[in-house]
Amino acid sequence: MSADKEQATPKYEPAFHREFRAIENGAYASQCMQCGLCAVTCPARELMDYTPRRLFKMIHAGEKEKVMNANTPWLCTSCYLCTVRCPRGIPIVDVMHGLKHELAKKSCKSGVALLSKVFFQSAMKRGRVYEAAMTNSFYMKLGPGSIPDAMKQQDVGLDMIKHKRLPLFPPKKIKGLKDLKKIYEKAAAIQKEAHKDGV
Amino acid sequence: MAYSFYPGCSMEATGKAYLVSFEAVEKALELDAHEIPDWNCCGATVSANYVGDLPQLAIAARNLALAESAGHDVLVGCSSCYLNLAWVNERMKLEPEFAAQINEALGAANMQYNMTLNVRQLIDVLVNDIGLDKIKARTIKPLTGLKVACYSGCQTVRALRRRDFDDVEYPQMMDKVVEALGARAVPFPMAARCCGGSQQFTKVDMIYHCTGKVLESAAQAGADIIVTPCPMCHMNTDVYQKKINKVTGTKYDMPVLFITQLMGVAFDLKPKDLGFSYNIVAPGSKLAAYGVK
Ligand code: SF4
Ligand code: SF4
Repeated sequence: MSADKEQATPKYEPAFHREFRAIENGAYASQCMQCGLCAVTCPARELMDYTPRRLFKMIHAGEKEKVMNANTPWLCTSCYLCTVRCPRGIPIVDVMHGLKHELAKKSCKSGVALLSKVFFQSAMKRGRVYEAAMTNSFYMKLGPGSIPDAMKQQDVGLDMIKHKRLPLFPPKKIKGLKDLKKIYEKAAAIQKEAHKDGV
Repeated sequence: MAYSFYPGCSMEATGKAYLVSFEAVEKALELDAHEIPDWNCCGATVSANYVGDLPQLAIAARNLALAESAGHDVLVGCSSCYLNLAWVNERMKLEPEFAAQINEALGAANMQYNMTLNVRQLIDVLVNDIGLDKIKARTIKPLTGLKVACYSGCQTVRALRRRDFDDVEYPQMMDKVVEALGARAVPFPMAARCCGGSQQFTKVDMIYHCTGKVLESAAQAGADIIVTPCPMCHMNTDVYQKKINKVTGTKYDMPVLFITQLMGVAFDLKPKDLGFSYNIVAPGSKLAAYGVK
């Protein structure tokens, strides 16, 4: 089953393909030969607006708005199945990371963008992730609208607490926390310099 | 053989049963594993969504830099941690330019990594270093009659995007371990399929859908239990099993064990040292005959 949605009047921005090539791992998208193997491979295909194949086609065509608003990268779970199967050797999962990073720079208000942000912040706070606090922080930042969704998972949360799967205390701060931050900041600066012409 | 051990954040929290049972099995097999001092979170692939690949892999590389002076192979249990450490290691070895960038980042903290280490997943070490003969010899209580679905998960076998210690689509190595314990590994086509990963908070339908298929496949194969080396697979198949039953009208009663928990049973280690209290689907229903309540 194809998850591709058609739109009546696509908007084309020819410069988009070039911009996309400049983002981290973006250039790989140009190597796609549209065979469709990733599309039948992906476990999230039925929920995606566009399969990876279709997304790459839209990148070539310059359909910026559709690409930037697609749920495709956000549903990618980094399972790597498409990546080991792609006959062109395209690291599709890396392209998805590059695109998500680019989108997250603009906004991290909800969904996987927000979750990824709170996860990373949790990792950098002590050098190790504290899952319980991370989950709280995620729902706090989502705001009261998220309460019904959170409530639906209450039974799962209670089971986890009952079986001590959510420690009550955070992990200890690592000694090299300052070093870790310096490493991150330097890597982020190198990355920024290398991809300054991105989307 | 000595190893530098990287536990990772999950093994210390949601996947605590893995760490506890790993330590018990480590002793039983006289595995000489030393925790990497002051290790940090590998970032998991989820960090790359936010910061992109380079910063995420740079923080993962700090762990390799910390481990390098010991000179031992780095042993990793968690599949996501394995992926991050093994991939940054492989990529640095393959791409000098990337290695220079990572080392420039590490240099900000006066560290560097000279790419002298091997990063090894636990299953790889069990099969290729310890060896099936030793595992068989250590098996005091053979798990005769037990049918097991071996769920490697996705990142465990695809970390390097090529054949690693096992096949990227149809892994067999954990089956061999399970058979050395006297159990039977059932044919399990979903062995390397995605459980839905960390979409619990963002698109829980994915968990119901993907993990649902995994449970269905294991049940169809006639498995009594599932074993996995991955904390995320364990979380979704164990913690979410009741929920999946509720939402999709199924009736799975499929205990999910970390591979080290099952090894501990066959090695006749004390159940209390194998962390069964952390399992949500009670293992006793299928493992009572082997001494697990
Ligand atoms: S499998 Fe590779 S070449 Fe084929 S459509 Fe997908 S990305 Fe393109
Ligand atoms: S890595 Fe992402 S895009 Fe590729 S098959 Fe897995 S979920 Fe789909």
